[in-house]
Amino acid sequence: MIKVEHLSKKFGDVTVLNDISTTISKGEVISIIGPSGTGKSTFLRCLNLLEHPSSGSIIIDGVDLLDRRTNVPKIRQKMNMVFQSFNLFAHLTALDNLTLGQIRLLGMGKDEAARKSLDLLRLVGLAEKADAFPDELSGGQKQRVAIARCLAMEPEIILFDEPTSALDPTMVSEVLAVIRRLAKDGMTMLIVTHEMDFARDVSSRVFFMEEGGIYEEGTPQQIFEQPMREKTRAFINRVRSFHCSISSPDYDLYAMNAEIEIFCERQILPKRIGQKLLLLVEELLHLHQPLLSTETVEFKISHSEKHGTLEIVAESSGDEYNPISLTNTPDELGLNIITAMTETINYQRFEGKNRVLLVLGEK
Amino acid sequence: MDIQTSKEAKATVVTLSGRMDAVTAPEFETAIKQLIEDGNIVFVVDFAGLDYISSAGLRSLLATAKLLKAKNGQIHFANIVGTVKEVFDISGFGSIFQIHESVATALAQIA
Repeated sequence: MIKVEHLSKKFGDVTVLNDISTTISKGEVISIIGPSGTGKSTFLRCLNLLEHPSSGSIIIDGVDLLDRRTNVPKIRQKMNMVFQSFNLFAHLTALDNLTLGQIRLLGMGKDEAARKSLDLLRLVGLAEKADAFPDELSGGQKQRVAIARCLAMEPEIILFDEPTSALDPTMVSEVLAVIRRLAKDGMTMLIVTHEMDFARDVSSRVFFMEEGGIYEEGTPQQIFEQPMREKTRAFINRVRSFHCSISSPDYDLYAMNAEIEIFCERQILPKRIGQKLLLLVEELLHLHQPLLSTETVEFKISHSEKHGTLEIVAESSGDEYNPISLTNTPDELGLNIITAMTETINYQRFEGKNRVLLVLGEK
Repeated sequence: MDIQTSKEAKATVVTLSGRMDAVTAPEFETAIKQLIEDGNIVFVVDFAGLDYISSAGLRSLLATAKLLKAKNGQIHFANIVGTVKEVFDISGFGSIFQIHESVATALAQIA
């Protein structure tokens, strides 16, 4: 139904979309998730030609969208879009917002358009608001009218660009319920969303976008339960991390501490946990001391909000060396502190590197 | 870390505040060494103002205790609370050192 090949979009020197290729079949519901600024909305806007791609091709049912002869308004009827900010005509009633396109673009008679529009408002639970102006509607109601208006154009594909982002949390569910119903009825949809539970429930496939491309895609089960790639895992588990490299035995402990304290503040971690983290890092550094004159030790501290854990990974290159082995430590003091304060402590030789992992619970 | 010393009748009280870590622990050792060289061999270390100690700090305390033992001296610890207490407990320092609730009780027990 939709075939995207090598799609790229640049704004000046900035590449927002980079070589995206994918195929979407009829009836599929694709949720597009990922951090802000990774091109999710631009991807949708390119599909609908609200942004003109810099290169690549978009084929909808065999029609090349980027061919000059293509009737773009007709394609937009077939592939309609629902925006974050509703984009309703403020001077028209809910009903007239729906009938306008049907009369002007589909050439429908006024009575028929009104009858059909009322049916669609009924479908989204807003028949009684047919005569209300957008200003008289709540955010959730406005978005439901926008969805009904989109349906009025009899689209085969609907693109949703963060349909609930502008809504008060209490109104999100009413809009999602309408989208769920469309999914059940077999509508082909691409939905940019930050509602992870919704994406998990409603989608047949999930695209995780990062670095201007589809970084990982799969079924909701694959993406939400067993993401394969690191950035997907970090996003799904709401992991935020801090990195630093130590490459000298005369490292600046206080500079590192200051950065860890900033990280803890941003993560809103309790002071007690922050202190433990500083202690564990200092002890780990001490255990790595014999390596520091020849090797760089990479530290990564990750906070998983979802699991309520902090993970500290210390990784070093060079020959196999286990810093947490008792044979390599002058005394047990540091190791005892680490063992008592963590849930997990282990060493692995992994991809030619020495890797020590500590997991600290937030409680 | 801030190190303050005061002379009492039976001991020298060393009051620590701040952090005792890989950077500051050597400062503690140097200060105590100087006091020992000046003839002080009985100490009460007040930890009330110390909010962090790592194994580097523990090693300094052990080294100081070793030094004093060789001179028939004594070292007592007071006011160990919070994270510092947790680290002491993990390391079994409670059974190695003489630990007191306050400086006053430590001084009272020194013969």
